[in-house]
Amino acid sequence: MNSFWEWMKTRLGIEELWNALFARHVPEAKGWTAWLYTLGSASLFVFTVQAITGALLAMNYVPSPDHAYDSIRFINEQVLLGRFLRGLHHWGATAMVILVSLHMLRVYFMGSYKYPREATWIVGVLIFLVVMGFSFTGYLLPWDQKAYWATMVGVNISAQVPVIGEYIGKVLKGGDEMGAVTLTRFYAIQVLVLPAIILGALAIHLFLVVWHGISESPTRKEDDQNKNAGTGILQ
Amino acid sequence: MTWHEKYLERYKKLKSEGKPFFPYAVFKDTLVALLIFGVLCGLAYYFGAEIEDPADPTDSNYNPRPEWYFLFLFQALKLFPGNLESIAAIVLPGAAVAFLFLLPFIDRGPERHIFDRPFLTFLGLGTLAGIGYLTYQGAVSPLTNPIIEKDPVAFAGQRLYSSLNCAYCHKIGGRGGTIGPELDKGAGDESEEWLEKHFRDPQLTSPGSAMPKLNLLEDEIQSLVAYIKSLSSGGGFTEEAPKLFQENCAACHKLGQEGSEVGPDLSLIGTARDKNYIRKYVEDPSKINPSSSMPGYKGQLTDLQIEDLSRYLAAQKGN
Repeated sequence: MNSFWEWMKTRLGIEELWNALFARHVPEAKGWTAWLYTLGSASLFVFTVQAITGALLAMNYVPSPDHAYDSIRFINEQVLLGRFLRGLHHWGATAMVILVSLHMLRVYFMGSYKYPREATWIVGVLIFLVVMGFSFTGYLLPWDQKAYWATMVGVNISAQVPVIGEYIGKVLKGGDEMGAVTLTRFYAIQVLVLPAIILGALAIHLFLVVWHGISESPTRKEDDQNKNAGTGILQ
Repeated sequence: MTWHEKYLERYKKLKSEGKPFFPYAVFKDTLVALLIFGVLCGLAYYFGAEIEDPADPTDSNYNPRPEWYFLFLFQALKLFPGNLESIAAIVLPGAAVAFLFLLPFIDRGPERHIFDRPFLTFLGLGTLAGIGYLTYQGAVSPLTNPIIEKDPVAFAGQRLYSSLNCAYCHKIGGRGGTIGPELDKGAGDESEEWLEKHFRDPQLTSPGSAMPKLNLLEDEIQSLVAYIKSLSSGGGFTEEAPKLFQENCAACHKLGQEGSEVGPDLSLIGTARDKNYIRKYVEDPSKINPSSSMPGYKGQLTDLQIEDLSRYLAAQKGN
């Protein structure tokens, strides 16, 4: 056993990794607000749930108008635990939007986006937009009435952008009409494009979170001034 | 010493006095993650994920229901009718996203407590309240979308109309050329057979017409027919329709000078809703507008009578 750890340490740098990620110190948050600091990791957790359930669903899903609906019914009715799996992915999507929004509100109201964490915030906003993109492209995939018409409205809205709107609409739909090309496009965006973007953005976001350290609980301005610089700590 | 340097120094001290990430933060994170996973499993097990009927691109009666977190955006669209719609659809969300990206450069001071940043605190709370209010409104009011209410076949015809440059010769809504007839004045009252024949070869129905033969595909002809029919000034209802209105609707609705004002005035309903929408509403209002107190007429009137009444109402454009 000892030699196993020795191997892990020398070959994988596991000790440094542990020290950098888990043994690092974080400022203690005040009271119940400490729980607000779990929203980011909760979002990350639900993201992994979405990645795993999404990969499993993709094994039985067919992105074509002729088969999409039937493959969803197949997942619901025939695949082992398929209905549960779809349910998890569906509710996970909702949870993702809620958690990422709450995480963003926590950072907004606590002013955690301030020096030196500006870049962390900007990448975070990008992640938020990608999550909305996941939610929009995923909505079409079951190819039922709701999926088709809600996406139609969404695409029509984006087509209202001045000047380039018409082209955005065409690029999203893959032509003038919503159909087979639209579905494969949305599927490719959902399973290839957005995951690539969000994984890159998450890596930067998490690196910055660790590198800058988790922001401390905000204190009133007077509290900082009354004490000498460097000692305005938590009560 | 700038506040940046002071901050870094202070943070270093706070950090060294703080607790190790494991187990202090990891414990809480794990607990919350497990709780969320439990809730998700419960929702997935008891509610699953709904699936409706297969997508039907020809069903113009379907009212799309967006995911609840997009409801406020849908509701906001209704506040900006007509050409202003792009304000709610593009300008406001675009400005909000730009604001979020630029936030760290707009608010640069050292103050972090909510009471030390009253403007941003109020802005945030105000936005949340607005989104909450719009979401509530969206949940209780009828979910209709002006973009989608038209028949998609007619929609396709409208696009074809512009891509074929029909407006070079024809006028619709006062815009276009003067070589051919104005299409919103009477063309929509021609029969579908006539229009179909006309689009196949204008010489068949209008000998000597300057309109070229367009060599259209079958479904292109259907789209154009649907579009031209949608420009119809109304008609198609029987003499019984006004009587049906008197007997069934006038107790609550006004039409022109007559009727009561318990329900909405319907004098201009044809400008806002097409026949299919009206028919669906008359059949069962609760499907479209859950808070409506109007009774459904399916079963009360025959399907033919409801169709007749809907055509009559769709023709009410104030002319």
